[in-house]
Amino acid sequence: MPTLREVQAAVAQGMLTRDHSEAAPYVLEDAAIPPIERLGIYRNTFVGTLVQALRNTYPAVERLVGGEFFEGASALFVGRHPPHGAYLNDYGGEFGDFLADFAPAASLAYLPDVARLEWALSCAANAADAPSLAAEALTALGDVDQGRIRFRAHPSVRLVRLAYDADVIRQAVVRRDEESFKGFTPDPQPFWVLAHRAGLEVVMRRINEADAAVSEAMFAGRQLQDIFTPEGMEAQVAVLADHLANGRFTSFEVAPPA
Amino acid sequence: MSPIPATAGIGLRFQHHRAVAETRPSVGWLEVHTENYMGGGLPPDFLERIRRDYPLSMHGVGLSLGSADGLDDGHLDRVAAAISRFEPGLVSEHLSWSVAEGAYLADLLPLPLTEEALSTVCANVVRFQDRTGRRVLVENPSSYLRFAHSTIPEWEFIAAIAKRTGCGILCDVNNIFVSSSNHGWDPLVYLDALDPGTVGEIHLAGHSLKTLSTGAVIRIDDHGSPIIPEVWDLYVEAIARLGQVPTLIERDNNVPALEDLVAEADHAAQILTRAIPHDALDAHAA
Repeated sequence: MPTLREVQAAVAQGMLTRDHSEAAPYVLEDAAIPPIERLGIYRNTFVGTLVQALRNTYPAVERLVGGEFFEGASALFVGRHPPHGAYLNDYGGEFGDFLADFAPAASLAYLPDVARLEWALSCAANAADAPSLAAEALTALGDVDQGRIRFRAHPSVRLVRLAYDADVIRQAVVRRDEESFKGFTPDPQPFWVLAHRAGLEVVMRRINEADAAVSEAMFAGRQLQDIFTPEGMEAQVAVLADHLANGRFTSFEVAPPA
Repeated sequence: MSPIPATAGIGLRFQHHRAVAETRPSVGWLEVHTENYMGGGLPPDFLERIRRDYPLSMHGVGLSLGSADGLDDGHLDRVAAAISRFEPGLVSEHLSWSVAEGAYLADLLPLPLTEEALSTVCANVVRFQDRTGRRVLVENPSSYLRFAHSTIPEWEFIAAIAKRTGCGILCDVNNIFVSSSNHGWDPLVYLDALDPGTVGEIHLAGHSLKTLSTGAVIRIDDHGSPIIPEVWDLYVEAIARLGQVPTLIERDNNVPALEDLVAEADHAAQILTRAIPHDALDAHAA
């Protein structure tokens, strides 16, 4: 008699590869329905559920390529990148990279970045709730060396580097306004998008390379003295003020002197 | 925590959030999928507000109580956090598995019904109950295959889980109908095997018929259509045996207008009013 672990490993193998030959001998045979077809019913649900999860996360990608193309690409993705957990809001982050290597989509250079943007927005929408740091909290610090301050980013904050005007294209698709970019040539120049959840709504905007570098360091929890530079101080302080005003931090601490 | 009343409720899906908030339908309670409310943002915020007005049940689909590898710590923590946050009146999961080889297989897969599997499920149920501090209701699955080395009838298997762990049973009447039809079981034998004192909830749903390559027809539990008359008839048999048990109308695909679900809930509620109160049934059995 096979162990439970052996049965589950065999069934999992078939679910992931579509080859049910290892699990089929464990299934009770009858004249009406072959074991492989019975196992296939479960695989159909496995793939269908995950394709739907991807559809929920990537509505603009689906609209750009059409339902049939999206379903085919998603089904391939599911086989190569099955989820590791049952919380499906965490599933599908590699879809943008997958599309970048997916030959049938090669003519749509902007598609991987539209997917990367949708992933960032989905993460921002579903991130854990946390109260934002009130800017006034810093004023109570007194004489402390402000260079040793480091911040903790709000869980919803996402900073993503894109190209091909992926944000413009996504916006048009979401508004069902594809007419607006007919004949539009996406710019391959890279840019950064900063997204976070303000209240219950996800907001995003483009930021420049220098502001992105400063923001990335702040969100990673580096001390201000390691981020600020004399020549860029004014702009860097403005970036900090913007993050504080928009609730992109949850807390701060003052690191001990080195 | 608001207890779930012994009347009919409906499954709350995202498509109906706005309609439920605006129309406040007359149903006894609501049930949600635990996994849909684990993060932050809009859905959990909505649930926080709506649970003030309706008793809430949380129904998990991803814990994989039958996994030989045991429960996923991260997922168990997320389920426990959701239960702690929303304080549902009932907590339920499935007699199935969906995690193996490090992959989540996104379906409620059937177990070989053996002593080894029974021990595994019981150990996982005990761990779940210890971690959450809650009694879990375990739902009987719909199934499309049986394993050749199974030795225990499903109805005895699920009854044994309740007896060994102190958990309850979520009796899905549609699933009993579907599995009985697919495997040639007598659904009344299934119902007779369940101790009324252990059944804390009933599910009712629709299912579909699928014709396979051999021409054989199999019933698929897709929650995508209205409840069929045969399942309503089996529900009458169920409550005759189990008494007045909170009953949920489930719909996950082809989700209809909210009024259609409420109409099915009204029908279930009418049948329930004719049943013997659960407490009286327990007293009679004692």
